[in-house]
This record gives sequence, C-alpha cells and structure tokens, in this order.
Amino acid sequence: MNLLKLNEVHVSIAGSHILQGVSFEVPRNRVTALLGRNGVGKSTTLKAIMGLYPAQGEILFGDVRLGNLKTHEIVRLGIGYVPEDREIFSSLTVKENLSLAEREKNPDYELVFSLFPELKSRSSQRAGTLSGGQQQMVAIARSLLNKNQLLIIDEPTKGLAPKLVGEVAESLSRVAGNSTMLLVEQNLSLVKRVAENIVVMDQGKIVFSGDPSNLNDESFVTQYLGVSGGGH
Amino acid sequence: MDTFILILTTGIGLGALYFLVACGLTLIYGIMGVLNFAHGTFLTVGAFCGVWAATHLFDGTTTLGYFLSLLVGGLGGGLFALLMEQLVIVRLYERHMDQALVTVGVALFVGAILSGWFSNDLRLLPSPPWFTDTFELGKSYLPKDRFVYFGVSISLLILLLALLKFTRIGLIIRAGVENRNMVSALGINVRLAFSTVFFLGGLAAGISGVLIGTYQGGVSPLMGGSYLIYGFIVVVIGGMGSLPGTALSALIIGVLRQFVNYYAPGLGDFVIILILAGVLLFRPQGLLGKVSS
Amino acid sequence: MTLRWKYSKHFLALLVAYFAVAPLLGFGFLKGPGMQQTFAVAFLWGALALTYDLLFGFTGLLSFGHALFFASGVYMTTIFVNRLEVNIIIAGFLAVLGTMLIAVIVGAFSLRTTGITFAMVTLAFGELGRVFIERNFWNLSQGDNGLPINAELLPQFLIGVLNTKFLYWLALLVLITVYISVWWLTETSAGRVFAALRDNELRVSVIGLKPSRFKLLSFTISAALASICGGAMAIVAGSASPRFATADVTIALLLMVILGGTVSRWGAVLGGMIYSIASTRLQDLNQAELVGKLPKIISGPLSEPTFILGLIFILIVMFAPGGLSGAYYRARFKYLNRNTK
Repeated sequence: MNLLKLNEVHVSIAGSHILQGVSFEVPRNRVTALLGRNGVGKSTTLKAIMGLYPAQGEILFGDVRLGNLKTHEIVRLGIGYVPEDREIFSSLTVKENLSLAEREKNPDYELVFSLFPELKSRSSQRAGTLSGGQQQMVAIARSLLNKNQLLIIDEPTKGLAPKLVGEVAESLSRVAGNSTMLLVEQNLSLVKRVAENIVVMDQGKIVFSGDPSNLNDESFVTQYLGVSGGGH
Repeated sequence: MDTFILILTTGIGLGALYFLVACGLTLIYGIMGVLNFAHGTFLTVGAFCGVWAATHLFDGTTTLGYFLSLLVGGLGGGLFALLMEQLVIVRLYERHMDQALVTVGVALFVGAILSGWFSNDLRLLPSPPWFTDTFELGKSYLPKDRFVYFGVSISLLILLLALLKFTRIGLIIRAGVENRNMVSALGINVRLAFSTVFFLGGLAAGISGVLIGTYQGGVSPLMGGSYLIYGFIVVVIGGMGSLPGTALSALIIGVLRQFVNYYAPGLGDFVIILILAGVLLFRPQGLLGKVSS
Repeated sequence: MTLRWKYSKHFLALLVAYFAVAPLLGFGFLKGPGMQQTFAVAFLWGALALTYDLLFGFTGLLSFGHALFFASGVYMTTIFVNRLEVNIIIAGFLAVLGTMLIAVIVGAFSLRTTGITFAMVTLAFGELGRVFIERNFWNLSQGDNGLPINAELLPQFLIGVLNTKFLYWLALLVLITVYISVWWLTETSAGRVFAALRDNELRVSVIGLKPSRFKLLSFTISAALASICGGAMAIVAGSASPRFATADVTIALLLMVILGGTVSRWGAVLGGMIYSIASTRLQDLNQAELVGKLPKIISGPLSEPTFILGLIFILIVMFAPGGLSGAYYRARFKYLNRNTK
C-alpha cells in the first residue's frame, strides 16, 4: 500500500528543467530513502511534493492530488517537513519554535522531550544561539509534535559532526518504527541503518527503486551514487 | 536650558507622530516584503474619518469625544488598508515589485478621489481646548498636546510589542518576518498574518492622521505625502521590520529635526535626508536590523 | 523571427515627418498654438520618460530621484541664460555639464546599493534637490515663486504666441535627439551590457566587465539627456518652477513608463505623451458641461487627472504588466503564430 505516489513529475526552475519525469512510490509504514549525487534533484523533489515549487505531473497523497494545493494545506493533510538547512526561526526561543508547529489539541511533547531532552532544558534559549546539532533537533521535533502520516526529511545530518550524526540516526530510527518516512540522505551508513526501501535519482529521473541491501554492493554504489561510496 | 527642554519636548512629540506613521510601514515591509507607497493614504483616510467623527459623531472638543474620534480614525485607516490588501495586494502574491508599484497607483487614485471630494485647504479637526495649554516645568512652558502624541505612541508601541510577544498571531508574524515560506511549511496560512499586519499598519497610520491633523491645525487630502517620506526615512534608519528600531529612530529624527531647525531654520529636512543617505550607504540594515520584537 | 515590424523604422520616420510639417498645414489638429503648446510639452515629457526608461526599463535601476536631473536642467539653463546672458545653446550645454557632474556624484554614492535601497537613496537625493530649490539656497532659485527665464535674452522667434510653433519644433527636435541617443546607446555593444545588467549582474562581472562602470555610465547619460529635456522645458514653459523637482514628477515618469511598457523605447515615449496630454485634457473635462451636471461625488474625482491615470496604472500593473507596447507585441506574436498550433 502506497501512501505517496509521484507520476511523471516535471519541475523547471529559472529555465532549468530539473525534474524530468520523476515517478516513484513511498510505501506505508516504511522508511524510503531518496538517494543520488549532488544536484540530481532530490531536494527539488521534496519541495515539489510540499508545494514549494510548481510542478507538472501527478503527486498523490493517499487519494488526494497535491498539485493544486497550497503548501500549508498540504501540510495540514498530515505531512511533517524537515527542510534541508533546518530553517528554524533564530529570533524565536526553542519553546516558540515548537509551539509554532503545533496543529492539534494534544501535541506530543512527551515524545519530543524523550527523544531530545535538551530541548526541554533549553526551552527559553533563542534558537539562533543553538549549535547545529541542537537546531537539527528542533527541526525534527517540529515534525513529531503532530500526528503526521508522512514525514519528509531532507538531509538531516548535513554539516553535523559524526557523533551528532549517530544521535540523529538514533532518533530517526526510533521514530521510523511507527510512521512513513521519505528521507533524503547522503550518509549511506545512516541510510543502511533505517531505510527499508531505496529510490535512486540521476539527472532528474529515477534510475533505481528497490532493496537497500544493494548498498552493500560496491559496484552498485559506484555506479549509482558516484565515486565515493559510504558516508562522509 | 528652558529652550532646550522645549525643543526636546516638541522633538519627542514629533518623533511620536513619526513612529505612528512608520510602525505600520516597517511591519508591512518586514513580513510581506511590500514597500507600501499607499501608507500616506491610510493616514489621510484615517484623518478624514477622525474629522467626521469629531464633528458628526462625537464632540471632538471634549476629551472623551476626541479620543473616541481617534479610535474611529484608526479604524478607518485599518479597514481601508485591509480593503486595499484584499482587493489588490493579494492578487499579486510574491510579485514584490508589482506590489510596490500598485501601491503607488492606489495612492494616486485614492488621493485623487479625496482631492475631488474635499478641497485641498485645511479642514479643522475639533480638539479639546486643553491641548493648546502649556505645562509648566521650571521656567519652560511645554505644550500639552505633545504629551498626548507621546502617550498615544507609547501605548500603541506597548500594545504592539505585547501582541507580538504573547499572542499566536504575533508569533506567526515574528516568524514570518524571518522566513515566510517556512511558516507555510508548518501548516500555517500566512495570509491571515498578512491581513492582520496590514490592518494594524493602517490602524496606526489612521491614528497618526488624526493626531497630525490636530498638530498642523487641520486635515487635507495632501497631508499624507510629506509624512510618508518621513515614515520611510524613519523605517530605513531604524531597520526594516524592527519595531524597537523604528521607535528609536523616530525619536532621534524628531528631536534632531527640531534642534536643527531651531539653530538653522529650514535646514532640518536637509540634515535628515543626508543622514538617511549616509545610513543607506554605510549601514543599510539600519540601527536594529531585520529582527522584530 | 523578430517581433519587430519590417517597416517599423519607415513608419517612425513617416510619423516624425508628419509631426514636423503639421503646424505648417493650414488644417488639422496641430494648426493652432493651443494644440502646438500641448504637444510641445507632450514631446518633452515623452523624451523625459524615455530617459527614465533607459535607467529603469533597460538598465534595471529603479530610481526615485530622476526629477533631480530634470529640475537641474530646467534651473541651470534658466540661471545661465539670466545671469551669464549666454544664448540658449550654450546655457543648455553648460546645464548638461553641470547636471552630469551632479549625476556622477549622486551615482558614485547611490550605485553602491541596489534594488529597494537604491530607490530610497535616490529618493533622498531627489528630495535634497527639491529642498534646495524650495528653500532658495544661495538665492539661486527664488523658491516657490519660480524663476522666469528672461525673455529679452531669448531669440525673438521663440517669444510670443504666434511663435508657438517654434517652441513645438524645439521640443520635437529634443525628442528626436533623445530618441536617437537612447537608440544608439541601447543598440550598440554598451547597450547589450545594460540589458545584461538588468537581467543578471553576476554574469556581467564574470565575463570581465565591471557592472558598476556601466551602471554609472547609464545613470550619467540618462541624467544628461534629462537635463536637455529640462532646458527645453524652461523655454517652452517660460520659467523654472520647484514642481519640476518633486517626487511627484518621478512618480509620473514611473507611471508613463509602465503605461507605455518598460522594454520598448517607443512605448516609453508614447506613455509620456499620453500621460501629458491626458492630464491637461482631463483638467479641461471639469469645465465640460456633461461633467458639471454630475454630482460632485463623481465629478470631483474625475477632474483630477490622477484619478483615471491612477486607475489605469493599477489595472496595467495587475493585468497587463507589459503596458501598451507589451500588449502590442503580444498581439503581434499571436498574429505571427496564427497558423501554428
């Protein structure tokens, strides 16, 4: 059963035809990793789903067409989005960043604080003064407060020190258990740890869709993901 | 020394008026990225609503009547701003240059309507007689109306800061000033925040219109123009999108202008404009930058 | 395939020829001094709008201080004629030099900024100019009273109502000069750089050219041409007035350029002429019987030119951003592609 389905999605930005017919499916209750070299269009795909870029083609969430909806309407269908570069609000406190994300009557602060206890102790701290890792926690926590059917996460470990990568991986795998996740990630060890399904992009199209165990195959990694295999 | 205190007081009074004009401008630019050239029109519309209220609804010469008229003026400005936002700005979503241009058109269009309906002469705004009394401080005689302008401005500043800090819509506005798209990506319809900001901006401008009408002895369809330019100057020097910055810069500019004009009559505008050019060239983000509350 | 009509140059030449001889024909709408004066003023506004378009439409610099250079031309020409007692050609030439000096100074400062900030800086400098004129600094401008140009020092053939056609021809000459200058500037390789600057400054610097130099060049030339328009206006209007230095003038130019369409030269001129003629004629509307019969609530605004012009401006920005020339080219595009799917 597929929660999210993309069918022949095209996106052009400033004259560049970035997505050239992207088609793939995200199965329910599984973690799907979207992989590919830099610049192939992974973030663009996520942003197209979120309605942040205009797209041609079909994007189905359950049986709802996302194409004509505005970003906030798409989110309200039950999608949590963690963007590349976190994009938390530096002038707001941690508490305010989180409360802004609340959509329902009973936001799940228990889950958030059990995963990221630091967010509780740093409640009144201005988010702009947090470290990169802590900001990432805020960004992820935001998507966990509401009962989202789908979590879309864009490069959560980008720019983080190895130790923090491990912590993020840990939280993601704990969350992954009971939700559907579409994850863009360059760090292959993280992907191998949490992903149950992988989709590989190249030059604006999907070139492989299937089992993550393929990532153990050196030639596969070199062919689809470029010269450097493994994480960074 | 007494002259000094007098000039300081009139300067603060003027600064208070500038703040009222500018605070809407800074919020509208800060959250929506729209350079609102129709802001002077909000001021003028509010002023005329105030005159109407002070002559037909209430008695502007009584204290209560005046302040009620002030509120009516504010509401007039606010509703007009909202109307403009819904009819015109909304349809140009994310086309910032066009939004700025269209506000120029609205200013011209509505300005023409007002000039057509009312003559360009000053129309008296009834106000309580005690406004022209003076308050004795040592050997200085300080005009009481300046205290009214200051009092109204400070109250509005406090109200706005409270709104931004303690309400959800205020939170949304503060976040929106930083990153509009991310606010949408959290499932929030920023449109409501935009409309609120426009309404509040118009409200403040409308209130300023009534007070300016009292200050300059009457209202006219042409009153918006020069105060709009000063509004922009204050906003740019204070920092676009920053309320405290606007307050600080309004105060400085009001006081500075009065001092310069006293010692070198006519040079006040000149000096202020030079300062604007200087700030733009050497510290373009203004005194307190693009951070709200 | 170009959208330009094969005969557009011929058409323009024919149009100019018609306007040139029109006052000499015994008939037609340009036979009387009234219309000649109206058109003289319209030509000058058209030319001024074109100078603004060079900045805004072609180089992408949104300036809110263009009135400064126009007013500088008006006042400097008047003052040089009155005080130095030179003929109008020399006075005009000196005014251009003076204005260019101002432009280089203003440009050196303001071009360090871009976008909205640039608009604000130029607004500030424009206002500085207006204040300077209105407050009669150094007793040069006579402030609000305006500064009439000394008619005794002007050539005889420019004085008097019967000689209005010479003012008309002067204005037409200025328009042609400005048009050819802008055309030459935008069609040569410097012109390509201006257009490239508007679209992508980074690319220009990457290929080794300095954007700032070209911006300053465009800025200065635009100011020089505006000064010429100003000098001619001093003669056509008979005096210099502070209203030529206000932000209202720059806003009117913005309106003209948007009305005509920013990317086309003839569009800017057309926008300028239409605005100028419309605002004079709309004021006459107030006197019209029909309007007088309407209730004040309608007739009042109608007698203000900015009522209709402001409304048209709003509608164009919202629904037809290319202005008149944009609409023309769109229609032409459709026409040329009428046989394709």
